[in-house]
Amino acid sequence: MGNTADFSQFRKQSKKGILVIYANLLYKALKTSWLVLLLVAQRFSKIQENHFTYIYLGIAVLLVFFLIRAFLIYKNFQFKIAKEHFVLKQGILKKSNTSIPFDRIQNINFKQNIIQQIINVHEVNVETAGSTKAEISIKALSFKDAKALKNAVTISQKKENKVEEIISEKPFLKINFPALLKVSLTENHFHSLLLLFAVLITFFQQITDLFDGLGKKEVLDNYISENTSALQSSVILIVGLLILLTVIAVLSSVVRVVFKHFNLTVYIKNNALEIYQGLTTKKTVILKKNKIQHITISTNPIKKILGISFITFKQAISGKVKKKQLDKIIRIVGCKANQVNQIKELLDFSAQIDAIPFQKSNIYLKYRNYIRSLLFFVPLNILFYFGMEDYNAFWVNAIIIPVYIIVTHFFYKKRVFKCTEDIMVIGSGILETHQTYLPFYKVQNIKLKQTIFQERKGVADLVFQTASGKLKLPCISIEKAMHIYNYTLFKVESSTKSWM
Amino acid sequence: MTNLFDNNIVITFPDITKIDFVSISKKYLNVILLNITIYFVIFICSLFIVTTYYLQDEMMGFKYYLYAGITILFGFFYVVYAIGFKKRKYAVREKDVSYKSGILFKQTTSVPFNRVQHIEIDQGPFSRFFKLASLSVYTAGDSSDDLKIKGILKEDAIKIKEFISTKIDG
Repeated sequence: MGNTADFSQFRKQSKKGILVIYANLLYKALKTSWLVLLLVAQRFSKIQENHFTYIYLGIAVLLVFFLIRAFLIYKNFQFKIAKEHFVLKQGILKKSNTSIPFDRIQNINFKQNIIQQIINVHEVNVETAGSTKAEISIKALSFKDAKALKNAVTISQKKENKVEEIISEKPFLKINFPALLKVSLTENHFHSLLLLFAVLITFFQQITDLFDGLGKKEVLDNYISENTSALQSSVILIVGLLILLTVIAVLSSVVRVVFKHFNLTVYIKNNALEIYQGLTTKKTVILKKNKIQHITISTNPIKKILGISFITFKQAISGKVKKKQLDKIIRIVGCKANQVNQIKELLDFSAQIDAIPFQKSNIYLKYRNYIRSLLFFVPLNILFYFGMEDYNAFWVNAIIIPVYIIVTHFFYKKRVFKCTEDIMVIGSGILETHQTYLPFYKVQNIKLKQTIFQERKGVADLVFQTASGKLKLPCISIEKAMHIYNYTLFKVESSTKSWM
Repeated sequence: MTNLFDNNIVITFPDITKIDFVSISKKYLNVILLNITIYFVIFICSLFIVTTYYLQDEMMGFKYYLYAGITILFGFFYVVYAIGFKKRKYAVREKDVSYKSGILFKQTTSVPFNRVQHIEIDQGPFSRFFKLASLSVYTAGDSSDDLKIKGILKEDAIKIKEFISTKIDG
């Protein structure tokens, strides 16, 4: 492995990196200004002929400016490896110099978006465990260099560890396209729809903000109210809309799953999971066994019939960087029962855990949900009483109350837990069934919460704080809660294993 | 199925219910009450400004209800904080530190020393006057939910910090 020599001097990324940075800058610029551009485009006919030259000139200047900027970013972005440290110099005017010791490097991941795929370079992301330093992303490296960089870092990390095990070339899990379709069709489409709505709402807000700024809010309001009154008048339209929504929901699930998990391949190597997936943005993630804090095995009724489930891995995250958290949640889909078992085995979850029956939460959990729901239903009905001209609105109750009762029933039924000597398993879900496996020694701190009402009923909530977020065990009897509280502390304090 | 951990009954692990919690410094009640009073004064002043300059005449009678409402609300805060103050307790054991508080919403938090990332001591202006400090113990992950003991004597805080520091290094 003479490749380490390559990184001993400061070096730049691949020249193709200029293109990647350029595309990235343009994309960002477009993303922030697309609405303004749209408005300008609308008035295109009103612009006088002789002004066109200025516009074109302006665009050309901007494009050149971004190109120069991209070149400067490229030129000033230099990195090397020295004395077990990864050293990075960057910045055009504000120079910065970052140095990361190897033992703080959590992972080195490869990524390829569509441009990087076309010009055949890899983006290399260096994940660190520290909370103060930002994470490093090298936009373009040839595959050879990327691999060499990774080796340079990981090999010296491994010196202290064991010798590498023989790599098995047969993938542990490979999802082909038909199987992926099966997965996507059985997704929770409600969830997909909600995600889609979230995206649409942000778009809508962007639009209203802009119209607000231009003093044209009334135009938009009129437009919307015209359309909504038309909507109210036609029942057929509503039914049509519902069908449309269903189709959109299913389609968005399919698109989301296919884009994210296309050609999902998982290998098990040296106590780590190597995951490759993605259509437009290919991602390579290496999950080290000891970096995983807890995992969740999820399924839903239809997936259960097909015998597949998906597994969500949570890695340690640094405290303040909220945005990065999503990156650290890694999901693999379409796992068969034996693959789930293999993963449990890899993470040293003893097989006996499945033999132990789950324990229910206290029934108070159900009552609490009903009581809390009153906070919603009572004001809603008061609103109906005073706000509506006729009493037809009350029929809404006939739909939402039974739905709510069913939802609460499943919510309570699936809120279960069990503990073995080393692991706590927490079940949750409404439509889906999630089972979260948390080894006790991964707990950072533990909290026991009790409201005055819970105290009277002799129940309490337990909150486990881990390096990748909180896990809650609501409404279990105080004796059990105390028992688990003490036991967790005992387990953590007597554990010699590192949580990371 | 209450006996979840049959194997471990032989090992006597420390029971959180059996340890003696220590109350925080009584002087800290003054700090709390001062803080509430400042909020109270701010609220009343802004209400006074709003009612004198912006309210129309026909709504004048309404303002007394507002004053009464705010006074009752803050009276409630005074009572709750004064009673709840007695419940603020902490305990430092061989291997962990715990803090509990609350009357309406009780909670107990424990942090094992071998999970502590760093410890901070800070003092607000009032606390400095009463020679008090608050001790924050941070662990990995989301730091908002870590343990914070407010209102202990500064020298106690330093002592605890040193104690935990030696435990971490050792």
